[in-house]
Amino acid sequence: MTTVTRRRTKLLRSQHIFAGTSLTPIMVYMMFFTLLPMVWAVLITLFRYSPTRQGGLLGLGGGNPFVALRNYVDLFSGSPNGQLFRISVKNTLIFALLVLPLNLVVTLPLAVLIESVRQRFKVIFRTIYFLPTVTSLVAVAIIWGTVYNPTFGLLNLALKALGLPGKPWLSDATTRILGVPLPMLCVIVTYVWQDMGYNLVIFIAGLQGIPEVFHEAALVDGANAWQRFWRITLPLLRSTLTFVIVMTMLSSWQQFVLVDVMMGHGGPSNTTRTLVLHVYETAFRYQEMGLAATVAMALFLIIIVTTLVQMRLLRKEWEY
Amino acid sequence: MATADTMTKNRVSAASLREKPGFSKRRRVSTPGTIGLWIGRMLVYGLLIAGCLVTLAPFLWMLSNSFKSSTEIVRLPPTLIPENPTLQSYRTIFTDPHVPLARFYLNSIIVTASVTGLILFTSSLAGFVFAKYQFFGKNLLFTLTLATMMIPFQVVMIPLYLIINRLHLVDNLTGLIVPAGVSAFGIFLMRQFIESIPGELIDAARIDGASEIGIYGRVVLPQMGPALATLGIFQFMGTWNDYLWPLIVITTTERRTLPVMLTWYNSQHGSRYDLTMAASVLVILPILIVYFLFQRWIVRGIALTGFK
Repeated sequence: MTTVTRRRTKLLRSQHIFAGTSLTPIMVYMMFFTLLPMVWAVLITLFRYSPTRQGGLLGLGGGNPFVALRNYVDLFSGSPNGQLFRISVKNTLIFALLVLPLNLVVTLPLAVLIESVRQRFKVIFRTIYFLPTVTSLVAVAIIWGTVYNPTFGLLNLALKALGLPGKPWLSDATTRILGVPLPMLCVIVTYVWQDMGYNLVIFIAGLQGIPEVFHEAALVDGANAWQRFWRITLPLLRSTLTFVIVMTMLSSWQQFVLVDVMMGHGGPSNTTRTLVLHVYETAFRYQEMGLAATVAMALFLIIIVTTLVQMRLLRKEWEY
Repeated sequence: MATADTMTKNRVSAASLREKPGFSKRRRVSTPGTIGLWIGRMLVYGLLIAGCLVTLAPFLWMLSNSFKSSTEIVRLPPTLIPENPTLQSYRTIFTDPHVPLARFYLNSIIVTASVTGLILFTSSLAGFVFAKYQFFGKNLLFTLTLATMMIPFQVVMIPLYLIINRLHLVDNLTGLIVPAGVSAFGIFLMRQFIESIPGELIDAARIDGASEIGIYGRVVLPQMGPALATLGIFQFMGTWNDYLWPLIVITTTERRTLPVMLTWYNSQHGSRYDLTMAASVLVILPILIVYFLFQRWIVRGIALTGFK
């Protein structure tokens, strides 16, 4: 009896030792590269910070003086940084709020169409539509840069063939469509083209998850395709839709590669300066890391709010 | 009774509809006739094919330009299909002494393979411990892990750079690998998967005298093929295409990874579309091969996990 208990405690102890020795380093490792930078990021916002200057603990203080909340105040002031910050917030909002509906308007009907064709074609279509999503965004930016090129570009070539006038797509900041400058629209179109494959695959999975019985029942009741889409597919796709909306929003808030590679430093009259681009340039071009971290906090706030809204929406979810 | 009758009738007709994938039954129930249905299907295919053309056009444009000669690329109006297809641009890139192409590929391979390997190891091990062991503070620790998923990279990239700077890893491939070695999402995914492995299997191994690390290596890991493949492929693609972090960390040309090399090459030869397009083809090619090889895993992975 005692030997059994002793063996059991020994077994339990060896389990504890294993769990401790394997998990502790991984957790320390993870916290070192997530929690520590998060705390540091918050602290930096309270200082004028450049890595080139000497400071105390974590480089704070000394050559990097404490400025209290002045970096935050600066975001709302008339300083060049404040103005650029507000422009980049506006641009990021325009970008995300246009990408979302455009993406949904393309991907949802496309998913329904793809779901309706034969299995063999379904796979072919899905493969093709997903191609841009796996392509490096840098390459996408460079390829589309040549598509938009005013003299040698594919877009103006196609317009000319249709008898329409071409445009200097990426440099014309004065032309606005629905109040959105042309360069920004070009970036948005490129992003939707690149990103749609992802949502498409999720929608197709969502559609396949809807029990066929519902559609058959509606079919028997004489509902046409249009009615079936609005009355059955869409309501039953609600959780998928919520997920897709939030994921699209989250990645849109963080857009950097396209605007940086395609447009350079914010594009003509800063029409394509997004928040992340602004953080990047302030921190690594101008070495103003205190200011940059403060701008990053604004981005963090937007992302947290989006995530909280998602949690709220998903809590009300019902299942079929 | 009457309702029950109609219900069974409905179920029968629904079942017979499911058995025959064709449209014979549907035609009888829905109003449009044969011709209407045929037109509808042609319209669906037409739309889908038109969409494919829009999707493929930029790729074809890139390919077409990469095969043009340096004289044809500047001709006006531009040609859609190269008149004299040539490998000139590819040859220029391969023989340019300022562009150590093999080096860039090697950099990307080293970084991607190391990060993917590290993530698979740390995620599966931590996931295993979270799934199958009981210890004080487990729930708190796991919640904390999930919470770190909410921290976007762009918010912590400045302090991350400062950390890398203090570790003297700036302009070093190790600086690209080390901060990416643990993924909270990976741990979460692996835990979910390992929880479905029966505990009896692990207990049986224990009775047979297996050590805990032996259980991880010989019992758990062999069962995790699909989960590891999904996580591995996505991590591979994400790291391979990563741009912002290498842009910040790497300053020397020879240490660049492919995406950063591409923007650098583009800034050097911005007006030579034959060259930049050929370079783009060379950067895209490996990831497209991976995509075609593992397509089924990728699609299933997204559908299951919402990985992005």
